[in-house]
Amino acid sequence: MKPSIRFASVFALSVVLLIANARVAWAQETAAVPPKASDIVSTHSYVSLDPVPRGKEFQAAIVVKIATGYHMNSHKPSDSYLIPTTLTPQLPAGFALAEAIYPAGRNEKFPFSPDKPLNVYSGSVTLRLRLTAQDGAALGATTIPVTLRFQACNNSACLPPVKVPVSLQVQVVAAGAASHPMHPEIFSEKPTS
Amino acid sequence: MNRVVRTLSAAVLFSVVMLGVSGCKGGAPSGGATGKPAALADAPDVTFKDLQGKDVTLSSFKGKVVLVNFWGTWCEPCRGEIPILIAMQQKYGPQGFTLLGAATNDEEKNVDSFIHTTQFNVGGQEMLMNYPIVMGSDDISTKFGGLLGMPTSYLITRDGKIAKRYIGSLNENQIVKDVEGQL
Repeated sequence: MKPSIRFASVFALSVVLLIANARVAWAQETAAVPPKASDIVSTHSYVSLDPVPRGKEFQAAIVVKIATGYHMNSHKPSDSYLIPTTLTPQLPAGFALAEAIYPAGRNEKFPFSPDKPLNVYSGSVTLRLRLTAQDGAALGATTIPVTLRFQACNNSACLPPVKVPVSLQVQVVAAGAASHPMHPEIFSEKPTS
Repeated sequence: MNRVVRTLSAAVLFSVVMLGVSGCKGGAPSGGATGKPAALADAPDVTFKDLQGKDVTLSSFKGKVVLVNFWGTWCEPCRGEIPILIAMQQKYGPQGFTLLGAATNDEEKNVDSFIHTTQFNVGGQEMLMNYPIVMGSDDISTKFGGLLGMPTSYLITRDGKIAKRYIGSLNENQIVKDVEGQL
């Protein structure tokens, strides 16, 4: 092989190796950087009745999708020092909260807690609120702000606790007015807690 | 010919050096991302508050190798590595090393109670945390470049430079090796 060709071959190989190694190193660095806590969940909210007659109980569901590789403490975490997942509505005048319903978490072990399982949510979790629009609730469209608070971790590190705002849209009508059940795929299931 | 050989040698040498450099960077131990934060070569000039409310400047530790460990009582992986940190303080403290635990996203009363009551099994012996604990804050985290997860630790040289950052649970062998390398 001519020296010039050999040189070109070795040089090209060196460049390819350099690029490949740089890409691997970049991917490892990138993978090591956790996102913001608020970025690892997406939330969708649903209301069980449309419209909501005054005096009638209805439910709201917040479906929380948690990014793959992450988990959050359940509402009843394994230890008192762990921060539970909570849902807190800021109720407008005329609305009442009967109950917040949280599903049971799953006991899982993690590399940082190999002997003690932690009670967590991962994947998708549906949190519910039982609410009533009372006589004093304003008629028409109303937004109910809700705060989802959670603390998430992956297999190695934890993200600080964070509060994520969620909103419920309800249409309030007079007592006794017709209303329709909505989202049976969510609300027909009996909530577990 | 000589020129070709020289050029070829230079190219190969360059590749080897570059591969070596990036290979070190990519060789993070599992369970803890490491790396030199390029923008943070000098440790930031920060002032923590201790649990009595007194100022504790990071610069007051100059001359010592310091491992600043951002942790929280609410953080399970942070708790998990505390026995390693206690053992390191015990072993390397007399050689000019200190841990500095910066409790973050936490309340002073929780931290105070925690450090005085929670025992850790260190080599079969029940021990309390044996290193200085201060309160972190968002401002301090920002000066360190922002915390990307907890625990996060920074290894600081005797002359106040950030030698390494560790995101997530520490790998015991790696941190011991790194600290010994600074002593």
